[in-house]
Amino acid sequence: MNVALGTAGVVLGLLGALVGIITLAVGLVRRRPSLVRSGRMYAFMVLGGGLLMTVAMQVALLTDDFSVKFVHDTSSTKTPLLFKVATMWAALEGSLVLWALILSGFTAVVAWRYRDRITDPLVGWALLTMFVVCLFFFGLLAGPANPFRAVSVAPGYDGPGPNPLLQNHPLMAFHPPMLYLGYVGFTVPFAFAIGALVTGRVGEGWLLGTRRWTLFAWGCLTVGIIAGAWWSYEVLGWGGYWAWDPVENASFLPWLTGTAYLHSVMVQERRGMLRVWNLSLLCATFSLTILGTFLTRSGVLDSVHAFSESGIGPWILTFFALVVIVTIGLIGWRGDRLRAPGRIDSPISREGAFLANNVLFAAFAFVVLLGTVFPLIVEWSNGERISVGTPYFNRMTMPLGLTLLFLMAVAPVLPWRKASGELLRHRLLWPAWVGAGVLALAVLAGARGLAPLVAFFLAGFAGGAAGRQLVLATRRHGWRGLVGRANGGMVVHLGVIVIAVAFAASSAYARQAELTLVPGQTATFAGHTLTYRGVVTKTFSNRTSVAAQIEVDAADVYEPALSTFGSGRSLVGTPSVRTSAVDDVALSLLALPPSGDDAAPVTVRVIVQPLIVWLWIGGGVMAVGTLLAIVPTGQRRPTDPVSAAPFSSRGAGGPGDGGDGGDRPGDDDTGPDDDTGPDDDLGGRPTPGEPAVVG
Amino acid sequence: MDVIDDADELAPPRRVAPYVAAAVGVVLLVFIGVLATRKPAEERDQQSPLVGKAVPALSGATLDGGRYDIDNQRGRYVLINFFASWCIPCQLEHPELVQFAQRHEAAGDASVVSVSFQDSEQKIRDFFAQKGGSWPVIAGQNSAAIDFGVAALPESYLVDPNGIVVQKFVGGVRADDVDRTIAEVERLRQGAQP
Repeated sequence: MNVALGTAGVVLGLLGALVGIITLAVGLVRRRPSLVRSGRMYAFMVLGGGLLMTVAMQVALLTDDFSVKFVHDTSSTKTPLLFKVATMWAALEGSLVLWALILSGFTAVVAWRYRDRITDPLVGWALLTMFVVCLFFFGLLAGPANPFRAVSVAPGYDGPGPNPLLQNHPLMAFHPPMLYLGYVGFTVPFAFAIGALVTGRVGEGWLLGTRRWTLFAWGCLTVGIIAGAWWSYEVLGWGGYWAWDPVENASFLPWLTGTAYLHSVMVQERRGMLRVWNLSLLCATFSLTILGTFLTRSGVLDSVHAFSESGIGPWILTFFALVVIVTIGLIGWRGDRLRAPGRIDSPISREGAFLANNVLFAAFAFVVLLGTVFPLIVEWSNGERISVGTPYFNRMTMPLGLTLLFLMAVAPVLPWRKASGELLRHRLLWPAWVGAGVLALAVLAGARGLAPLVAFFLAGFAGGAAGRQLVLATRRHGWRGLVGRANGGMVVHLGVIVIAVAFAASSAYARQAELTLVPGQTATFAGHTLTYRGVVTKTFSNRTSVAAQIEVDAADVYEPALSTFGSGRSLVGTPSVRTSAVDDVALSLLALPPSGDDAAPVTVRVIVQPLIVWLWIGGGVMAVGTLLAIVPTGQRRPTDPVSAAPFSSRGAGGPGDGGDGGDRPGDDDTGPDDDTGPDDDLGGRPTPGEPAVVG
Repeated sequence: MDVIDDADELAPPRRVAPYVAAAVGVVLLVFIGVLATRKPAEERDQQSPLVGKAVPALSGATLDGGRYDIDNQRGRYVLINFFASWCIPCQLEHPELVQFAQRHEAAGDASVVSVSFQDSEQKIRDFFAQKGGSWPVIAGQNSAAIDFGVAALPESYLVDPNGIVVQKFVGGVRADDVDRTIAEVERLRQGAQP
């Protein structure tokens, strides 16, 4: 039953995408609007297919229908409910079901959202592109990665359950869907970029149309990556949250190019420049999601959490090649026509800063990509096998990260076109003081070492710049000073800064020890006292855990455990972490005491790292900032590239911060986009009658 | 609005995009070619330069006071197991090794030898006392792991009766897998000498 329904869903999605492609292609090439309009409707058929197969899969998982191959191989009657749901994305085929579902959802929303503009060839080609991507993923599910194959099972059969590491923490239910929303979400701006390239439409209209899509995808990807880091910190028990593992890099690469795009697109909206570059960034972001899918699903790279080996590698690589050939071909064909009419006047300007930002993000992405695939390239060239470790990534990315922090401090105060030294000195004064204050505080708190101290200073500097912008904007607009792209963006910056500080502190000042304790024994490490109380054995439906009870700082008891899941072939550690705003004490049980011997010692690894919790808080701030940036500000004029007035004669600056330089009427409601007054970076157009000068 | 359009100052656009795109495209296609010709990591892990070659010298004092030399084991299969008592996958693997050794004990057609890595003799003794197994254990020979190119524990090498390494096992072995490999080697051998 579930096999039939699931297969029907896959076939429905596949057919919908195929017929949609044909109908749209004929309609667009022959210029028949009626065909294009009917082609749109197939998006809903694809969505129907996606929903049907997902429901069939979930029903099969929840009812332990082992006649479905995927359930047979990966689920178990003993798996707790939450993880039964999450089992869908705990193995390869099911994760593609989730991917295809989200993709069909995005396709349907595009078809619905642009229903009135569907006969616009740009929208038509964009939808066609989405259908092609749908065709590929539903095709994978119909053929090489079919999760709905039927198997016959003996009565009483019970499956092995998902990988123990994937049924160990509730974040597993949350992290992959967020990540996939991000990955798949980039398909929408990519599709519109292809539409713009095919139609050769010069102009910024499509950019505005897809801006929120891009922000939404980016925000989901951000949350997904941070949730993944959190999961690995809580579950893997080595005290780390980021290991530059190929799978992690696969999610980080599109994030880097996507972040570069979010910044450089503002230059295009404002000045009409960098068009080809922005299109290339969007295409690169999408291509990198497909490349990441290949790297994690083909088994070509060693990784702690690559999916199991399967035959789909060549298919994904073929699709990646197709994407690369088509996008590069289109850019080569259209590039000269789209090229920017403008030019950057001065490097010390907002657009100059965005350009530097893009160079840095591109370099960052290149460094990460190179480190990820370098072992494969070396092996190809001389047959040797090497591995590129964390030291390479840390050494290469640290200067880039610090430079980005510096830019984050300077860029938001720069006006468009050109900045004077006087203006910079004035606007950077108090951010610099904040940086100095943070530095002094860090030194007083005992922080040492050049790199972390530089990071703390720059973080304070950048935080001051973002805070200055937000203070100015909220003084003027109240809560509305927090919404809109520029102000929401500053909130995102604050989140990034919090993460940067937590990252620098936790990696520079981590302390680790392995303690062997007998019951009742107390040890002191890194200012924390740990007392071993004894061992408890707990039995859950899906696992048996042996936990050591460790009292931390004579207060709460924490229970790092070793668990045996299901068939008992693998022993999985479950760390236990005492979290506080200042530092984390992470405990992992390393060796089991012999059973039955209550007086035997246990060996526990203790990792003390400062400020860890701020990584997750920073991630939350970034998510909130993204949401604030998505909120419509309501007063947006159509973009008029290249015609932005370089200087407005209206509006004289106030005497100090908070003074208002005055806005051009009709200027958009995003603070730092304002380049008018000598002192102002507030955003927004005052509502009529509202006093323009505050403070 | 005083519009200053920089486009006016620019030279007429040159046709550069096709060339840049072509260059980027070629690089990416080579990259795709490299990716397409890579074997899966799991398969590469199993490959060892030793497979198909004579087993490296392996001899030394065993824990029970005797001496062991792999060269004296010709005529039967030997499973060389690199392990440590502190390595959790090794602890989990151990019952499979016991099972394998027991299966072949009577016939004497295959044996196991364990080589410890960075471990104390006392801990190894405790390990075997607790988990069973009475085959020879060579301790204190960290150089053996280097000779074999051991990357991570546990790792095992199957040596055929002629002293040729026929298979490398990464991670915990399963008795059934080793027996399957032996059966496969025997089948090939009989095919080659009808």
